[in-house]
Amino acid sequence: MNSIAFQFAPAVMIPAHLIGEVQSKLAYVDERIACAQISPAGEQITLELKHAVSDAEKSQIEEKVQRVVVSMAQGAIRPKVQVLEDYLDRPTPFTADPMPELLRRGEISQEAPGIYALGPLLSRLIDWFESRFLDLAGSFAAQPYRFPTLIPARYLERVGYFRAFPHSLSFATHLPADLDQIDAFAEKAACDEHGNLNVPLQRFAPIQTLLSPAVCYHLYFTLADQTLPPQGVTATAVGNCFRYESLNLQSLERLWNFTMREVIFVGAKEFVLENRERARQRMQGIFEEMGFVYRVESATDPFFIGEFRKQAAFQSAFQLKYEIRARLPFKESTLAVGSYNYHQDFFGRHLNIRLPDGSPAHTGCVAFGLERMAFAFLAQFGFDPSHWPSSMQETFR
Amino acid sequence: MSENVSLDPLTARIREALSLALQVPLDVVAEDLAFGDLPQWDSMGHMEVMMRLEEFFGVEINADTIAALTSLSAIRQYLENNHLGATS
Repeated sequence: MNSIAFQFAPAVMIPAHLIGEVQSKLAYVDERIACAQISPAGEQITLELKHAVSDAEKSQIEEKVQRVVVSMAQGAIRPKVQVLEDYLDRPTPFTADPMPELLRRGEISQEAPGIYALGPLLSRLIDWFESRFLDLAGSFAAQPYRFPTLIPARYLERVGYFRAFPHSLSFATHLPADLDQIDAFAEKAACDEHGNLNVPLQRFAPIQTLLSPAVCYHLYFTLADQTLPPQGVTATAVGNCFRYESLNLQSLERLWNFTMREVIFVGAKEFVLENRERARQRMQGIFEEMGFVYRVESATDPFFIGEFRKQAAFQSAFQLKYEIRARLPFKESTLAVGSYNYHQDFFGRHLNIRLPDGSPAHTGCVAFGLERMAFAFLAQFGFDPSHWPSSMQETFR
Repeated sequence: MSENVSLDPLTARIREALSLALQVPLDVVAEDLAFGDLPQWDSMGHMEVMMRLEEFFGVEINADTIAALTSLSAIRQYLENNHLGATS
């Protein structure tokens, strides 16, 4: 048996712009991996395993890691980075990690990796941000919608989600309509010391639903096979979203179950692009008033390895996604707290959403992760409301 | 597009590349074909087109070419401007 940690060189050099992306994908490679690190220069990978393994098993794990590296890094296309706003040099009154203080105050309670219950301060902060986002939605006369937490598997299949993001899916099922099986479950179901339910998967009904990974998809499905009104559709909704991130689940930065507020535009290309830009400019005003420390820059979605190279290159070339990246002073890094997205006519074509002239509709959305917003705010401003923006002090006095 | 129309060699070669990349018959690749005109020429299809252009003509795939080469005529113009038409 061998030691728990081992190192090796990647099969191909990992370019600097891909190190974070590749490293985050290594969390999905093998259940035996406890931690995966790529050196800053991209020439060395260090794996820490949960327990010692044989040489053969180590080779097997290394081979899987190399598949990820080659798939993502070989022939990688350098992204076109565009910065639309940069306020990262604004001063912050707080520099510590807010997590210990949140724990000490009982403001967060971890139920499982990536799953947290939030206390009154965080809830009120989220409400405050929500009211700003609702103001934004109101400025577009966005119509309110409420969407379910579950989403049918066939919906996600129809828009290619299984190919693009298989690693982050969360499935929902139930017991079959069978009295004997329900009785047996009630009598014997229990969790082991790891929290695993002692019921084999075949005892559950076939999976037809998943936990929804995004809010706007639900709107697109309600508009499927329809012709839009000439003025297009502007909607807003908030919902629970689920993206499994394996070992990457940590603190309030990366949650499995999080809440997202979206303002969604469906219509002609110009309608979507102009409104996305207006939304960005209006949010710039809100962030400025707060003194929020952030940057808006082009980004790509975390596609899985098979699709990553092509999809990310396409998204980057056409500048389809911009992220709002908030500064986290305690670790001198940034965290994506929102995004401005344009999907071209992808959903219009796949779901047959038509403009009055019969052509496919274009879609776009502005999305904010509420827990991340609150976390980034506390990381920048701390817990003393007297150091908070004046516009917030009355609410939180 | 009618097959009895004679095309210059460069356009014919581009059509061949697009046909292979998008996995559609050659006669579907009209001279005015553009990104989004066929269900096959979507984002993933576009990246297949880019790789075929790299293979056929030595086009460098980068953010600028991905964003610019979105129609047969744009591809033709690019190849002519960059003297790449004679490759392969």
